[in-house]
Amino acid sequence: MGRFIVRRVLWLFLVLFVVLLITFVLMHLVPGGPWDREKALAPKVVEALNKRYGLDLPLWRQFVNYVWGVLHGDLGISYSYSDRTVTSILLHGLPKTATLGILAFVFAQAIGIPFGVAAALKQNSAIDYTSVLFSTIFASIPGFVLGILLMVIFSVVLHWLPTSGWGSPQQIIMPVICLAALPAAQSSRITRASTLEVMHQDYIRTARSKGILESTVRVRHIFRNSMIPVVTVAGPVLADLITGSFIIENLFAIPGVGRLFVQGIFSRDYTLIMGGVLFYALTIALLNLVVDILYAAIDPRIRYE
Amino acid sequence: MQRKTVFFSLLAILVSLSLILTSACSSKTSSTTTNTTPQVITLNLGGENNTIDPNRASWVGERTVLVQLFDGLLTFNADLTLAPMVAKEIPTVANGGISADGKTYTIKLRNDVTWSDGTKVTAKDFVFSIKRLFDPDLASEYASFYFNIVGGEDYYSATDKTAAEKTALKDAIGVKAVNDYTLEIKLTDSLPTFTQLLALWPVFPVRQDMVDAHGDAWAQPDANGAMPYYIGNGPFILKEWVQNDHYTLVRNDKYWGTKPKLTQIVFKEIADANVSLAAYKNNELDQSGVPGGTEQTTMDDPTLSPQIVRLPQLTTYAFQFNVTKPPFDNKTLRQALACAIDRAAYINEVRHGVGKVALSWIPPGMPGFDATLGTDWTFNVTKAKALLAQAGYPDGKGLPELKFQVANTGANPTIAAFLQGQLKDNLGINLTVDLMDPKAYSALYNAKEFNWGFTGWGADYPDPDDWLPQLYMTGAGNNKTGYSNPAFDALATQALKELDNTKRLKLWAQAQALVVADQPMIYIFNRETFVLQKSWVKNMVTCGLDGNIVGDTFLRDVYIQK
Repeated sequence: MGRFIVRRVLWLFLVLFVVLLITFVLMHLVPGGPWDREKALAPKVVEALNKRYGLDLPLWRQFVNYVWGVLHGDLGISYSYSDRTVTSILLHGLPKTATLGILAFVFAQAIGIPFGVAAALKQNSAIDYTSVLFSTIFASIPGFVLGILLMVIFSVVLHWLPTSGWGSPQQIIMPVICLAALPAAQSSRITRASTLEVMHQDYIRTARSKGILESTVRVRHIFRNSMIPVVTVAGPVLADLITGSFIIENLFAIPGVGRLFVQGIFSRDYTLIMGGVLFYALTIALLNLVVDILYAAIDPRIRYE
Repeated sequence: MQRKTVFFSLLAILVSLSLILTSACSSKTSSTTTNTTPQVITLNLGGENNTIDPNRASWVGERTVLVQLFDGLLTFNADLTLAPMVAKEIPTVANGGISADGKTYTIKLRNDVTWSDGTKVTAKDFVFSIKRLFDPDLASEYASFYFNIVGGEDYYSATDKTAAEKTALKDAIGVKAVNDYTLEIKLTDSLPTFTQLLALWPVFPVRQDMVDAHGDAWAQPDANGAMPYYIGNGPFILKEWVQNDHYTLVRNDKYWGTKPKLTQIVFKEIADANVSLAAYKNNELDQSGVPGGTEQTTMDDPTLSPQIVRLPQLTTYAFQFNVTKPPFDNKTLRQALACAIDRAAYINEVRHGVGKVALSWIPPGMPGFDATLGTDWTFNVTKAKALLAQAGYPDGKGLPELKFQVANTGANPTIAAFLQGQLKDNLGINLTVDLMDPKAYSALYNAKEFNWGFTGWGADYPDPDDWLPQLYMTGAGNNKTGYSNPAFDALATQALKELDNTKRLKLWAQAQALVVADQPMIYIFNRETFVLQKSWVKNMVTCGLDGNIVGDTFLRDVYIQK
């Protein structure tokens, strides 16, 4: 297992380098740069700006400088947020995005898994049909629409919750619900399907015939085995939630990483884009590694060399 | 699931819900039991600022924040005339403030203006700020507006020079403190509108000790959002800037002028128009725009319609030709197309009834506006057809492909569709539309490779100097149409220097008339802001220079009365 982890980490460095290279090339291929505005800047101003941010160097030189900086922990300076370092911008936004993502993930699993299990154990009952109905509804409504709907009901009409922003617990409720809706629905469906499959396995019948308590059969054998597909999906889902939903962050005016990153793309803020991509790639790769390790813990049949 | 589990989880959910809701409700009730109304206003800036360093600021949202925190030499009144601020009086030739040749400005300052920490504002603070504006390492975007100051442009272009050479160039800039309360500025050539430039934010005073000690970080928040080094001389102090979230400004109790009644201003950064309106309805904002397209329903809504504030802006929008590319190099064709566009329909369909038809470039409400210009090109289908024939394309026969490019954002697709419709319905011409990525469009536009586009211009300051030379002089920085008219160039060169204001405005009037006759752009409309404002916001004065928050120029005079 140890060798496995070391090998994955080495691959990680290669993956990040390739990702950075591809992003850098694409970024510069796309027409338009950070100083292109409709009210044109005087050529002298553009020249001065390019000099200040090192954009007048040849492209390969800029890339090499960038990678060298990354290896020293320096992600560069943002152009659209005057002179703030990309590291400080990402670190500023990360706690908010991560909190939102993790809360949404926990909420999604806390709702989805129990309902999925209940639906499977009591197949074709009222719980089963309600669970399927809600998961279909929440899988179909886009987060944006759900957000506006919740905002209208709870802020504008009932005045119970503030519309947007970040800081108080009341402000987290609606964004978390919107972000968790789809993962909860997916989780519920996967859990249900997986539990149904496991329930009808031979070894469950064996366990029951051995005289084990039904509750122990459910927790020790059914639940644990049916979690494998859920864990497989959970890793990428968590990575997706943590790396920030731009739409929800933009809607609820949450100063997180997702919103910053997409705004950086629109304003051609090269260093912010590269920093954002690096952050995403790293998070996704690490979370996938964690999932693979957890996998081995849950299912003893899986071995890595 | 076991029944016990279900019961406990439901109980947990109910308990947490009730805790949250009671705390939400209790905060609502506490505000209605106070006796004195808190003098706090919450407004929406709409987006995050790049910087609030006066020498580097360029965006309208940055200006909104800056004018609460700093007072400049001069300022504008609501009617767009100038007023003295830190300066004792507006410099003129009559009072000796401007030399007879117009090249030397001697400005006397008040001796009672203080920074928010109590120290006096002196001429040295302005000297430092103006020299810093031209600092080549700062790469300030508005420095080019002040290139008339002796030595300014040379210092600004010195990015490659050694430190010693840079210092020499900096010392050679024509601005100095004759004494603590007298500022002298020398220009390379007379520029009558220079006094207006003295009222803008790039030359607000800046604290040298803060910049020297902390560099660019003087205008940055620390990890908690506090601004320990950011000192201004305005009616408000910046207490905190939580980036991408909000600004909190508090009243400067040591303010040298009339203290504002407001004790606190909060600028939020809500980008989505629907959320902004929801926040307004939930009493989280005191002013908000409305989502595009809902203006009419807002006007019909009995609760909301008394809260509407409409402000004509000093902006003009036009369909801009590239007159170097055929067939738009044909003046008669341009005039024909101008007559084929129903501007009133544009305002109704695309702007939802908010805005005014424009037939010329300079908008109403500022000097230089001429209501008689452009009337030859109002909507007239018969005339359009006749001109089209005169241009050599009777009934559109033989007309090469007409192309229109625009950035694929906001209302631009609607605008493009409108133009296509007008040309088809009125002249039977097909228009090819290309909706482009915004930066790609800007790149194409700045390289003058577009054919026909859509452009707008807003006043930096209310004078034809800001509207005509940059756009229509041969080879000027913002002249993307490729328009070149020696007669215009001659008039403009003269007008820029003319010290007699009446003569100057007459020259500009003639110059504008030339441009409008040639129609390098089809002028369409002047924009109007349309916002909702709570009835308890009192004494809000609007002005043509207001930015994305209506009334931001004179926010210091506002108070709350519930």
